[in-house]
Parts: sequence; structure tokens; C-alpha cells
Amino acid sequence: MLDALLPPGGPEGLPGAFEAGFEEFEKGFASDAPFPMRFGWRAALFAACWVSPLLIGRLPPLTRLAPPEREDALCAMGKSRVYLIRQVSLLLKAVTSFGYGGTKAVRRVVGYDAR
Amino acid sequence: MRVDGAALAAFDEVFDYVVVGSGAAGATAARSLASTGRSVCILEEGPAMDPKAFGDDAWGAFKTMFRGMNGQVARGRAFIPVIQGRTLGGSTVINSAIAWRVPDDVLAEWETLGLGDALPPKELHRYWDEIEKDLDAAPTPEEAWGGFNTLMRDGARKLGVSAAPTRRYASGCKATGQCLTGCPSGAKRSMLTTYLPQAEAKGAVIVTGAEARRVLVKDGRAVGVEGLLSAPGRPAFRAMARRAVVVAASAIQSPLLLERSGVRSAHLGEHFMAHPGTPLTGLFDAPADLWRGATQGFDSVHHRRDWRVKVETIGLPPEIVFARLPGAGRRWKEKMALARRTAIFAVQTRAWAEGSVREGPFGADIRYDLTRRDMMQIRRGLRFSAELLFAAGAREVWPGIYGLPESLKPGEERLLDAGPDDPRCYSWILSHLFGTARMAARPGAGVVGADFAVHGVPNLVVADSSVFPTNLGVNPQHAIMAVARLCAERLAERA
Repeated sequence: MLDALLPPGGPEGLPGAFEAGFEEFEKGFASDAPFPMRFGWRAALFAACWVSPLLIGRLPPLTRLAPPEREDALCAMGKSRVYLIRQVSLLLKAVTSFGYGGTKAVRRVVGYDAR
Repeated sequence: MRVDGAALAAFDEVFDYVVVGSGAAGATAARSLASTGRSVCILEEGPAMDPKAFGDDAWGAFKTMFRGMNGQVARGRAFIPVIQGRTLGGSTVINSAIAWRVPDDVLAEWETLGLGDALPPKELHRYWDEIEKDLDAAPTPEEAWGGFNTLMRDGARKLGVSAAPTRRYASGCKATGQCLTGCPSGAKRSMLTTYLPQAEAKGAVIVTGAEARRVLVKDGRAVGVEGLLSAPGRPAFRAMARRAVVVAASAIQSPLLLERSGVRSAHLGEHFMAHPGTPLTGLFDAPADLWRGATQGFDSVHHRRDWRVKVETIGLPPEIVFARLPGAGRRWKEKMALARRTAIFAVQTRAWAEGSVREGPFGADIRYDLTRRDMMQIRRGLRFSAELLFAAGAREVWPGIYGLPESLKPGEERLLDAGPDDPRCYSWILSHLFGTARMAARPGAGVVGADFAVHGVPNLVVADSSVFPTNLGVNPQHAIMAVARLCAERLAERA
């Protein structure tokens, strides 16, 4: 799932989610975050897996789809007419960003180190 | 003296004054009260951070210094994150140290509400003079602007509208763009590094990791505060007050504490006001480096009075910038790769909306819904913000608004003005919170009287922005500090 959200390779050497060490962040998140946040994260993962394919006319789960379709499905969540799905997409991206944008590997690529 | 509630088995002491909260209001009130030579105890729910240990990782800061790890949300038609510090020094540790005096037109509104004597402009201005001197308030110097702040200057010049370097308590700012995660250079004069140590030097006792659960009221007088320490097993504590209890725990926590303490008023927890804000991202040809420069170093109040909006720059670490960028997968990463060339101008509005704050199963249950007038103000503000970005040279603007294109080109700003009316189409944050224990000239119209005391409990005073009769339209820390000082000095005189 997170490989679809932040796949390896791509622009200007930005790593994928797992290459950047997201797994370690997720472990800490699961133990530290308050219940509503953890629940939201789980719900977001569930929706990404089981709801997002429906938004592009495909059957879930997301993992059955080809990589370009996975990306389309996740993009569709952010553009959904249903507010809750858009919010879930935002939460998914927010938590992923914390575990991704805060890492040295990513910060170096986007020029954060230049500060 | 500092006492860490995370390492205490019990705490039961007697003081002259007990102050609940250590942010802008609590620290200011405590410092004033400690100056009178009386004993003061400051209770802070969060931990004390060592400024030398401040990092630049947003999640790390959220975990240690933000209420609910920054997961606190107001519910209405839209879910809106409500940002508050929960650490020694409160939100002053994680905000941008902005020093705006309450505008004269807002002070005049307070006078028309019958509060001219309770909150006298002349006295407030005297306090602001003193606070500005104490905390070295000054416009953000050019060497701390960095790229993204300079862009607002450029855009405003080109449009011929007013914008200025933000006045902040941060002289010597090293432009690290880390206000949000705690200033690593110590340039920011947060309460953690200024008024709290000063209060301590005058004998105040600071107890961190101490969650106030109830003000003890006996025979119509506040006699102390009880609560829970953060040590394993959550042992109970009591801080007894011979003279008064000062509640300064914020417009969210103060009404909840008062309600748990048996205070009854139709206005308690009501009239919750704020400055909802929403960002707009501009993409430039050259790096704007929104992580290098004073976090909020430039702002425009050009449309503060007519449209009730204020536009300000904001620098954020990559992980926060990324979350709002459109797309997923490679499309998301393409936007991330451009992040260094983006600048964010945030629009905040002096909203008309009033919500409420109640105790909920996971903390505060905050209800808040923007009105149609608020939405109109925001849309105008967003258009103005886009005009500033384009005038500064943005090649595209990314609105992040459902129903609008993902990217706007110069000349398409009008789309923002005609944007959706539904708050669910926008990304919001709520900061600057007011009014939930409001002051009123008549006892039936508010929670506290002109002396800041809760009606019926003369030595239980509220010193924070809960008492504000309206929102302000500008950043409130300066106002909160002056009002807290007024409150504390009146309290000391009474005693």
C-alpha cells in the first residue's frame, strides 16, 4: 500500500516510503500516538486498500491492481466527492509525510539541508 | 524551583496563589504575582523541555509539545485541527512569537460592549510598551526573511498594497524556520525562556506534568486545585491557595476546568471564537526555501478591516508541506521535488462563527462551523493571497480546494473568489482561540466580571483569552499577555 503511495524511484532521487525508513516510524507511531489518531490511521489504510479501487471502477483490494492503477486509485481518494474519503486521504498522506519528510534521506534531496 | 510531576509520588503544598497554565497568560500572571513577594505555584500539564534539545522534526515536536500530538480537532461540517501547545511555556514555545497589539477598532468594540473600564485601552497600551521592551519585540529584520518572506514584500510592492515585516519577540532570529518545533537558537522569547524563569527567580514554584482536574471551592471561595501527576499510576496532587486561583489554561482547557469545578453559567464553554486559517501554495522558478527564514516573518493586514482577513507567510518543515501537496505515488513525489520552490501564504479570518467547548470522551469536544460570511471573507482573502503570490512571480498557485483546479495560472485568481461555499472543500487550521469564559459587564451575560473573577467565586479568576469578548483579527499572544497582566495586577491590588 505505502509502496503505491510513495513508490521507489522517480523524480530527483526521492526514495520510496520503505527506503526512507517508514516502517520504523510506523512502529513508533503505533505505540505513541493517541487512540483517535491510531484509529484514524488504521481507517485510512483500510479505505486505501478497500475503497480506493472502487473510485476508479476496479474491484478491491488495492494490492490486486497494477502500479499505475494503484496510483490512480489513491489519487482518486483525494478528489472524491465524499468529504470523509478526502479527509481519510489527507490523514493517510499526513502520517506518511511525518515518517517520510522528516528523514535525512528525503530532506537532503529536497534541499532542506541547505538551510 | 521546578518540580517534575513525572517523577513525583505525591504533591500537597500551600501557596498564596495557584496559577493553572504556563503559556502566555499563566506565565505573565505568575510573574506579576510573584513580583508582589507572595508565594506562587504554576501548574503545567505538559513536560518541561530543554531548549537545547529542540530538534527540527515535526512529529517529534508534536509528540512532546502539542496537545493530543496535534490531533485535536474541532467538529462541524468540516473537521478542523485545533493547534495548541502542551508544554512548559504553552503555545509560546511552538508559535512564531508574533506581537500584535489589539487594533484600536477592536478595542473600541470592547468599549461598546461596556468593557472600557474593565479592559482600558490606555492601560493595555502601557503593558504592551513594557512587554515589548521585556521581550525585545521588533519587526523581523531583513537578514532573517529568507526567500519566502521576501516574496511577500515583493508581491505587495508590485500590487501597491501594504505588507510589512512581522513584529516578533525574536530579535537575533537565526532564520532556522523552526518556530513550530521549538527555537533552537534561543532567539524566540517564549515564556519558557523569559517570564517563567523570571517568576521562578522571584520564588514561584513550577510543577510540570500536573494536570489540573478541579478547582476546589469552599463556601464560595477557591481554596486550591487538585489533579493528577503524570508519574506512573497518575498519583493525585493538591496545590492549595490562600489568596486566589488563577485559571490560564487556554480557551479550550479553562472552560472545561471550570465546568468540572462546578462553575455554572449559560456562557461557559460557549461563544468559542477563533481565526480559522487556510494556506495557498505558490510555485516559483527559483527556490523560495520555506524552511529557511523566520517562520512567519511578513504579513499583510491590508484587508483586515474591510474583509476581516490577514495574510501571512509561513515556513514549514518538508513533512508538513508534503501532506497538503496534491496527488499520490509518482505524482505526489513530483510535487515534493518542487517543494523547495514553493512559498505558502496563509489567510486567516476574523470569523463571525461561534462554537462551543465541552468535555468529550477523548478530551475537549469542540464544535465549530464557519458561517457564510466567514466563507466569503476567506475566499476574498485567498484571492488576495493568490494575487500577492502571482505578483511576486509565482508561475502557478496550488489552492488545495476541492472543486477548483489543482493548479491556477496567473489571471485565474478570480476562481478563488468564486470558490465553493462549503467549508469541507478547504483545508483549515484553527489557532487563536477566544471567548469561552467571556467577560461581560452584566453578570448574566458572561462567566467573569470586570475584575476577571468568576461570578459568585470572587477569588477564582480567569486570565487567558477565554475572557475575550470578541476575536481580534490579529495574532493574540500580545493581547493575552497584556490582559493577563492586568488581571494579575488587579488581583494583587484586591488582595
